[in-house]
Amino acid sequence: MKNYIYLLISIISIFFTSCEDVIQVDLDTAAPRLVIDASIQWQKGTLGNEQKIKLSTTTGFYDNVIPTVSGATVFITNSDNVVFNFNETTPNTGIYTCSTFVPEINKTYVLTVILNGQTYTATETLKSVSSITNIEQNNNGGLGNDIEIKSFFNDPATVENYYMFKYKSSIAAVPVFEVQNDKFTDGNQNFGLYMNEDIGTGDQLDITIYGISKRYFEYMNKLILIAGESNGPFSTPPATVRGNIINQTNSKNFALGYFSLSETDFRNYTVQ
Amino acid sequence: MLVKITIKKTTNYMPKKIILLTFFILGSISSFAQEKFTINGVISDSNTNETLIGVNIYIPEKKATITTNEYGFYSITLPKGNYRIQISYVGYESIEETVSLEKDIKKNFNLTETGQQLKEVVITTEKTATNIRKPEMSVNRLSTATIKKIPVVLGEVDIIRALLTLPGVTNAGEGQSGFNVRGGGADQNLILLDEATIFNSSHLFGFFSVFNPDAIKDLKLYKGGIPSRYGGRISSVLDIYQKDGNSNKFSMNGGIGLISSRLLAEGPLVKDRGSFLFAGRASYAHLFLKLSDNSNSAYFYDLNTKLNYKLNPNNNLFLSGYFGRDVFNINNSFINTYGNATLNLRWNHLFSDKLFSNLSAIYSDYYYGLDLNLVGFLWNSGIKNYNIKYDFKHYVTDKVKLNYGISGIYYDFNPGTIEPSNSESGINYRQLEKKYAFEPSIYLDAEQKISNNLSLSYGLRFSMFYRLGSSTVNLYENNQPVVFNQELQIYEKATPIDTQFYGKNKVMESFNNLEPRFAASYQFNDDTSVKASYNRMVQYLQLISNTASPTPLDVWTPSDRYIKPQIADQVALGYFRNFKDDNYSLEVETYFKKVKNRIDYIDGADLIANEAIEQVILNGEMRSYGIEFLLRKNTGKLNGWVSYTLSKSEQRTPGRNASEPGINNGNWYRSGYDKLHNLSVTSSYNFNPKWTFGANFVLQTGQPVTFPNGQYEYQGITIPTYGLRNENRLPTYHHLDISATYTPKPNKKKGWQSEWVFSIYNLYGRRNAASISFRQNVDTGANEAIRLSIFGVVPGVSYNFKF
Repeated sequence: MKNYIYLLISIISIFFTSCEDVIQVDLDTAAPRLVIDASIQWQKGTLGNEQKIKLSTTTGFYDNVIPTVSGATVFITNSDNVVFNFNETTPNTGIYTCSTFVPEINKTYVLTVILNGQTYTATETLKSVSSITNIEQNNNGGLGNDIEIKSFFNDPATVENYYMFKYKSSIAAVPVFEVQNDKFTDGNQNFGLYMNEDIGTGDQLDITIYGISKRYFEYMNKLILIAGESNGPFSTPPATVRGNIINQTNSKNFALGYFSLSETDFRNYTVQ
Repeated sequence: MLVKITIKKTTNYMPKKIILLTFFILGSISSFAQEKFTINGVISDSNTNETLIGVNIYIPEKKATITTNEYGFYSITLPKGNYRIQISYVGYESIEETVSLEKDIKKNFNLTETGQQLKEVVITTEKTATNIRKPEMSVNRLSTATIKKIPVVLGEVDIIRALLTLPGVTNAGEGQSGFNVRGGGADQNLILLDEATIFNSSHLFGFFSVFNPDAIKDLKLYKGGIPSRYGGRISSVLDIYQKDGNSNKFSMNGGIGLISSRLLAEGPLVKDRGSFLFAGRASYAHLFLKLSDNSNSAYFYDLNTKLNYKLNPNNNLFLSGYFGRDVFNINNSFINTYGNATLNLRWNHLFSDKLFSNLSAIYSDYYYGLDLNLVGFLWNSGIKNYNIKYDFKHYVTDKVKLNYGISGIYYDFNPGTIEPSNSESGINYRQLEKKYAFEPSIYLDAEQKISNNLSLSYGLRFSMFYRLGSSTVNLYENNQPVVFNQELQIYEKATPIDTQFYGKNKVMESFNNLEPRFAASYQFNDDTSVKASYNRMVQYLQLISNTASPTPLDVWTPSDRYIKPQIADQVALGYFRNFKDDNYSLEVETYFKKVKNRIDYIDGADLIANEAIEQVILNGEMRSYGIEFLLRKNTGKLNGWVSYTLSKSEQRTPGRNASEPGINNGNWYRSGYDKLHNLSVTSSYNFNPKWTFGANFVLQTGQPVTFPNGQYEYQGITIPTYGLRNENRLPTYHHLDISATYTPKPNKKKGWQSEWVFSIYNLYGRRNAASISFRQNVDTGANEAIRLSIFGVVPGVSYNFKF
């Protein structure tokens, strides 16, 4: 819920937007680092057997191409020692897939990636999620002319729950993420909130709700801040966000990214 | 002129307690044998009866200088004889009078403003030259008259903007709240308005300060050598006094500007015995929000009030108050209200001709409220404090003055109350645990003239701090609320292993500290002196803020088991010189400051509504050092000052043991307030009685920031990577501002008097970066850097009047 307070910061930023311009800044580029994008998603009503993991590296801030990583050994082991292998089926894409994955709620999984003699591992638990019950639209949101879309769900009482929403609209190139906890809303009906002043009637919005772990919630919280508007007038000192991936061979040569497992619920919404 | 003679012979008058205290300064009491008498009184403005603070009184026969205190009171004890009394004060005619001191006398003086008698003559008698004799250093005084001449954004006169023209004072940039003194944080400034603490000095997130310049009499900024009567913050003290109100006649003044309008009324309650002052200032709604024709509004207002009543020559009562609020309302779905309120009742009592006392009962609070109707979320937080203090000023001899007193402050912190704002809200009621604390202190300091060349000021403050219940404290393994994850090489929140409950008013944690203060001045001749000072300051409250300048929603928190008080040691050396008949003054000071227990936050710390703030904090240290130059031209048609500061401000948070890297690998790194160069030129040109022109130029090194050193893709979005903290800087910041003041009828001293102030801020339209942010363009998916610059060329006009 505290994320709503961050809204304050973004709304205040609106006061300033009229004096913004894009400038070119000379930036240094650090040596490349491995990035592991391993988000296992089990959409309600599916088997969840088709999964993918993407390997890439960091690159210069202004570079248009993200370098991919091939030749790695990638597998997930569950707590019963069942191994699910991921293979780069299309060469040079950095995308490693598995079609035999078996998702189970509250089961613990270990990801292993072996690359250039270094072994990276991460451990997480698959979290369940409530369904999206209904979607409401308000055309006078935000500063008065934003379209506001609320996706309602029921939070289970007495347990700590963490949620992530992903919104991908047909008018934007990139998705938008939102994370929530139930610290102030335990056991109540609650909603994810999407606001956009450019979206209009007929545009499509893909809405996904994820059940996530506390650790992943904290990771995404930092990630969203840093990806959004870091270094704004009210921002905190930005820092590289570390996930849950550990280099077992050399801890200093750490990898970025995260290994998460979530149950998800999906809706496609047409803006009214 | 009224001269009242007190019969009581005071040569040996000394209450027992005082004798004890005086024991500290044995050396100076030896000359008691000779018969001595005391002259005391109050110095005020001849027109308004407003008492004047810091007026210089010089007795050439004894080479003795004294100044009036915060209530315009002075007292000096001299051997029987005839003396000349020379009185000088910024903006006022100097006067000299001869008195025959054969008994104790009470003598009040009235000073006349320079402008009132000298019509078309260039002002030369105004004494603004640097005080060479007093050990006081690292102190800047600004009169409201001076402040009003400095050109400002949109023509709004602003006290904090004026402070930024002084050496050693900077802020994080345009539209950023607070100010930084000698490389310290904005939270390390003690801001007092009529002795009451102001927790947030900004309106509109920092565009304007909360002080209505019309209601302010005098202000003093202590950057170092801070006297022992002040405590509780480690960087500086900004002591602001409100006007008492005109006890001669009723009058009003005000102004109409582009942002706000002001109105002040003052007058006698009972002629010559009491007066009142009410001042209000309000901005217009819809500020900055002309973007759309809906119900958005953003405005601020503040009210100042002061009442004073003279019971008899030995007893005065003062009541002062302040109330200010900022309100942002975005389409009724987002309403944000915050501000300060203070109330202070004071009683001045003269125990004897030599012993002045003031008893204050002060209440102050800061409120922050947020109503997010959008999500049915209502948030209230704040801090309240209750302060009783009793201060004594004891004018022992012409060479020795003692200040001593006691103070006790009780704090009540509300970190947050969360409520549903409507019946459909999914929010549950929740009160974040309140925090309580008590801060008592005692102090004593002496101002002593050792010889005609050497003066000392030395003192000691003993401060205590008790964190009180009821409250629950988290307990952690190894007493460490932050753990270092060796596998991931990051700091993480620890999980409490237990909790401990403390009942109401139970002491949970206590601290006490001795804070020595020392200052010395050695005078080579009438024009040149060197001064040195040392002070230790302790700060028991911390502002939980992770941004370069504070935001209104930042929460104050008391020291406790995990958050230790900040302790600062500062040494400063200075060279002071007046030359060309006091037409010019030069002040050069160098300082070194070291701060223990400066908290720093682990990467990605979440501070909002965090009930276990200790889990994201590491203890570090801070240091700053620099050299400051201030050259002033005090007289003539063209006057003003140039200030330049070369300084560094750094922070370090090493690991707690060898296996931890600390923050920034445990290396020193630039604090957010590090400004290598800071140059400011402020000038005023009195063209003729109708026209006065002002110009102001500021140039400073860009603010330290952290820029990305790469990017990566995760879940379809790109994320920047960062290296070490504050390795980069924003571009150099500079702007030139000009103003012109037109007084249509400068000779008119009665009835309706008015002036127009025209200004242009940022004359050549420099697009100074308030920030540079890095993001992925949502439409194209490409990364870009966005410069936010707040002010372009900003013209302003305001109309001021009085009658």
